[in-house]
Amino acid sequence: MRRVLRPALALTVAGIFFLPLYVALANVFKQGPKIASEPAALPIPPTLGNIRAVLARPDRLFWVSLTNSVIVTSLSIIVLTLLSAMLGHYLARSRRRWTRGLMLLLLCGLMIPPQVILMPVTQVLRATHLMTTLQGLILFNVGYYVPFGVFVFSGFIRTVPVELEESAAIDGASPGQVFWRIVFPLLRPATASVLIFLGVWIWNDFIDPLIILGPSQGTTITTGIYRSIGQYQVDFGGVFALMFLATLPVLVFFLALQRQFVKGLTGGATKG
Amino acid sequence: MAEGVLTRGRTRDGRSVTALRPSRLRRVWHFTAFGGPGVSVYVCFVLAPILISVGYSLTNYNPFNPPTTFVGLRNYRILLTDPEFLTSLRVTTVLTVIVVVVPNVLGLAIAVLLDRRGWLYNALRSVFFVPVVLSSVVVSIIWTRLLDNEGPINQGLRAMGVAHPPGWLSDPRYALYSLGGILSWQMLGFCVVVYLAGLQGVPPELSEAAAIDGAGPARRFWHVTWPLLAPALTINTVVLLISAFKIFDHVQVITHGGPGSGTTATIAYNVMETAFVANRRGFASAEAVVMLVLIAIGTAVALRLLQRREVDL
Repeated sequence: MRRVLRPALALTVAGIFFLPLYVALANVFKQGPKIASEPAALPIPPTLGNIRAVLARPDRLFWVSLTNSVIVTSLSIIVLTLLSAMLGHYLARSRRRWTRGLMLLLLCGLMIPPQVILMPVTQVLRATHLMTTLQGLILFNVGYYVPFGVFVFSGFIRTVPVELEESAAIDGASPGQVFWRIVFPLLRPATASVLIFLGVWIWNDFIDPLIILGPSQGTTITTGIYRSIGQYQVDFGGVFALMFLATLPVLVFFLALQRQFVKGLTGGATKG
Repeated sequence: MAEGVLTRGRTRDGRSVTALRPSRLRRVWHFTAFGGPGVSVYVCFVLAPILISVGYSLTNYNPFNPPTTFVGLRNYRILLTDPEFLTSLRVTTVLTVIVVVVPNVLGLAIAVLLDRRGWLYNALRSVFFVPVVLSSVVVSIIWTRLLDNEGPINQGLRAMGVAHPPGWLSDPRYALYSLGGILSWQMLGFCVVVYLAGLQGVPPELSEAAAIDGAGPARRFWHVTWPLLAPALTINTVVLLISAFKIFDHVQVITHGGPGSGTTATIAYNVMETAFVANRRGFASAEAVVMLVLIAIGTAVALRLLQRREVDL
């Protein structure tokens, strides 16, 4: 009796939890009129019409948003990984008092809400002619998320023995060579966490592209979806299909890298 | 690398060390090359903007209504009695309490339920985590449809004989709690995964020893497992606290601060409205600064209280 109870209870709870996702998924493959009349029913017969319509939209909303999101996300996380690995290494290895202060200042960045800085940021970007450009958004992302990268990398670097670097330095390697040839290859688990988490966060980011890319030009995946529910009589089949297509890359990414996800998330949850 | 000087010395705790002690110039160059890019982007896009915000909060800056003049602490004084701001403070507090408590409690229960080996439990853990990787916009739209007056939930309630099911998002009495529920649903998986990792770090010997001493399952959980989950509780609470306090996306997509006047307008939402819709940027900056101070105090207090509970095995 008890051996059935736990799996049965677990399945029931997970089933209830999953219901909203089921409804969303069902509506992707359901014909337009049925979405309003019977939103919870199975999509029988299933249709690819909604997805096809989104892909063929005359304003190419999906394709433009996808391209923008891919560019912004990939460039941001590559730059972020390199910069925060270097800075994290420097800070983790330095024993000076001012670098500790700098570390603290960076860690404060982990809790700063974007609302506090967005308004001045738009002015900085406007002054440098980067407002409403992808470059501007990428630069902002790098600045805003660098604390997270530094936090992960410096924490990891403290677990790597410093003797490796010292012996390389004694053998005549420059700090650059020590970092790129010895340290960086050892940081792979931390690099994976940073790439995964920042990748998902930046892909899903809403308020920053909404403000920085501006209302008229350029949407990322998230702001694209947001605009598609605001502009006209909402075609929910289309919206659900758009959300499905926009989420698919993240979902595949997550399912493929689950183990690293969980590892990165729970590094600090257990001690020792 | 000829410029480096090999020095031999002792650290403060008396260990003998051999280290390459680079010249001052090289140290500066080392920092510029390694720390410079990261630090300068951070300064330009985070630190300087914070200082600019603090500066603006002391003015009446409005780009469409010049001239900008220094007004001292007037914005802050107005905030203290501004009904809109006080409402947003209350809304944010209610949401934060819901979002910190509900996913923490349910997450712990579900983690205990899933704390077994096998493919089934792994698969179910993934199910709970899916909303965490979904965009808040996507989650918001899904729930807007579900909780619509004519949506599936109310259709179901009508089928079960409820004549007038509540307007989950359109009734000012319920909207805030619906929003809290949606956020809790999205954050739940995060707590589940963190608690599961915590549970798997609890040595089974301890529980077994307590069982031999005659402790029942409830006492074993409360006196053995729960204290050892302290680090997981710290992580969950702090992460939930910080993310709850800056909730904006869901409000912007689902309710626009309504229904009625500001029944779901969080501080973060109010800051954006005041800054970019009303263009009262000086005033918005004052709100933003207050918000930052509240987050900092909340996080510091939570960290201090929670970390005191953490024990080393």
